Amino acid sequence: MRVLARSLFLRIFIWFWMTVIVTGIALILAFLLQRGSIPSRWNGMLNDTARYSGTIAISEMDRGGVPAVSSYLEHLEWEGHLQACLFDSSGVALAGQHCAGFEEMAHHVMAARTPMLRMRFGILRAAMMLTGSDGQAYIFATELPAGPRTTFGANHFSFLTEWGVALLVSGCICYLLTRYLTAPILRLREASQQLAVGNLSSRAAPEMARRRDELGELIVDFNGMASRIEQLVIGQRQLIGDISHELRSPLARLNVALDLVREGRSSDLAVDHMEQDLECLDEMIGRLLTIARLDAPSAPIQFMAVNLGDMISQIVRDAEFESRKREIQISLSTGEEYWIEGNPELLHSAIENVIRNAIYYTHAGTSVEVRIESSGTPPGLLVQLVVRDHGPGIPEAELIHIFRPFYRATESRDRQSGGAGLGLAIAERIVRLHHGTIRATNAAPHGLEVEIALPLVHA
Amino acid sequence: MERVLIVDDDVGLCELLAERLRADGFALEAVHDGNRGLERALSRDHALVVLDLMLPGLSGLDVLRSLRAQSQMPVLILTARGEDIDRILGLEIGADDYLPKPFNPRELIARIRAILRRTTRPEMPASPLIVGALRLDPALREAWLHQSRLDLTSVEFALLEAFLRNAGRIQSRDSLTETVLGRRAGPFDRAIDVHVSNLRKKLGAAQEGEWIKAVRGNGYLFAARSPDR
Repeated sequence: MRVLARSLFLRIFIWFWMTVIVTGIALILAFLLQRGSIPSRWNGMLNDTARYSGTIAISEMDRGGVPAVSSYLEHLEWEGHLQACLFDSSGVALAGQHCAGFEEMAHHVMAARTPMLRMRFGILRAAMMLTGSDGQAYIFATELPAGPRTTFGANHFSFLTEWGVALLVSGCICYLLTRYLTAPILRLREASQQLAVGNLSSRAAPEMARRRDELGELIVDFNGMASRIEQLVIGQRQLIGDISHELRSPLARLNVALDLVREGRSSDLAVDHMEQDLECLDEMIGRLLTIARLDAPSAPIQFMAVNLGDMISQIVRDAEFESRKREIQISLSTGEEYWIEGNPELLHSAIENVIRNAIYYTHAGTSVEVRIESSGTPPGLLVQLVVRDHGPGIPEAELIHIFRPFYRATESRDRQSGGAGLGLAIAERIVRLHHGTIRATNAAPHGLEVEIALPLVHA
Repeated sequence: MERVLIVDDDVGLCELLAERLRADGFALEAVHDGNRGLERALSRDHALVVLDLMLPGLSGLDVLRSLRAQSQMPVLILTARGEDIDRILGLEIGADDYLPKPFNPRELIARIRAILRRTTRPEMPASPLIVGALRLDPALREAWLHQSRLDLTSVEFALLEAFLRNAGRIQSRDSLTETVLGRRAGPFDRAIDVHVSNLRKKLGAAQEGEWIKAVRGNGYLFAARSPDR
């Protein structure tokens, strides 16, 4: 199972290892097959060795004739695993048991009159012309001592050990190399399977991400993607939970109001409530769609240069109509012109939500202050919009929640406050989309202060 | 006019329900937070409490727990659909019945009636029921195991009564739901099982063996005699 599951591992491993083995064999073959592959500085020594044996063979010939030579050659083969042969000057074999193999070399030496070395099938042979004490010329051909025959032929055990060690070492290296390549892939696969099953917090091993190569980058990218998905899914899940919960209240009221009407006990109360609840549902659905679009925009949002001061003045003027009914003053203080890069429609809706929220919660007869100023380090990097009301403020512990969809301060949970609790959530998403920040603090002695900071455009 | 207390933070809903229930002869008093709700529920001014579990301040379950520590007043809980855990918890803590929001007001009225019918039953035959060491007196609304008085909610009392009247006979979950809760069992409705399990715990507390056996195929059997130890 495990082995099958790691088929990429197996494939890479086998390919690497085969490559190493084949390369090794090719090298050996090339070494064995190449003529004259013996380095020239050895030639003299090899020739001397051959000449030494040859001189002895010829002196044996002089002393005892062919039988003496034959016994010497047998002795050579017995003692040193060396085959040798003695030819006369016309190339006819005189002594030696394996002369057929040397005949070709003997003919070469006869023709060229120079000693000759040859490497074949891993066995080194030498042939040369020698002259006896009586001036008679012979050709002596021999295999050379310490030649490959001892290694290949005589010592099977050491041959196996050497090949075994070579295989083991190359195998280990290939295994480590393959593991190095495939381990991150396996980790990625495990992580993505976990993700697919719904375990959204799973990530590929972070220690893998420290590799600086392409696989490391892939893991970093994968983990980034997983985080984004987790964030989105958790956000959506939370939102769906909140929606179903929030829909319950208007639906419960509609149910009762409808029943009142149906029972013929219809009153203005029931009909008014139905109208309010339908409006509330309509608004909630509209705003939820806005949030869904902001969370995962289907089309890129168009950005352009926006004069923030002009936009805010416009929003404040529109809001004044509403605020006059509750005798609320809106004061706007702004300095120079502030140009930012953004989507005018979205920015308008974000700022309007914040200002209307302030007008809504500030106590009747008080004021809402709107300030625009440059800020940031270095100064002039950001434009900051501050909206401060004189309402009840928000419990300190709940400040971080006020940008969550459907959040309402506890006191306003009676829903007489109206609004779906989505305005600030929308504003927060829009500001984030514009690379800005939004935060809320309680002002002294009471009231809420919302600060929006957006990056300025520099001409 | 029966006086009913509703504890729910939705002011609009309370207003509408007050008007709807008045038509059926109930005087509804509405309270919008948990602490005040508990205070009013303990005042003994009402025949029944309708309690929303999602409350600001003291949560509905906390209100129910504190209430049960001092009073056996009937409680109907309102839960959100899908929040099954809250519903089961509510029944375990001792709520009489539950209704998921949003609900049909007629269903609410029917449930309120069923609970009230059970808790104030004047035509009940007054002879005590005795099975083994168990004695139940419908007139006094008291139940005794050996010499100790059992502390039962109104549902548990009704359930025990139904069991004693039919001791030794298998009763289906559906028929128990009808006689005890006064309504038909809905699909996946485990309310009666929670009440049975609560009753089991209270009977088991007296070191007895098993009085109530679950029977395969949706029913319960009450032992005709005191079970073996």
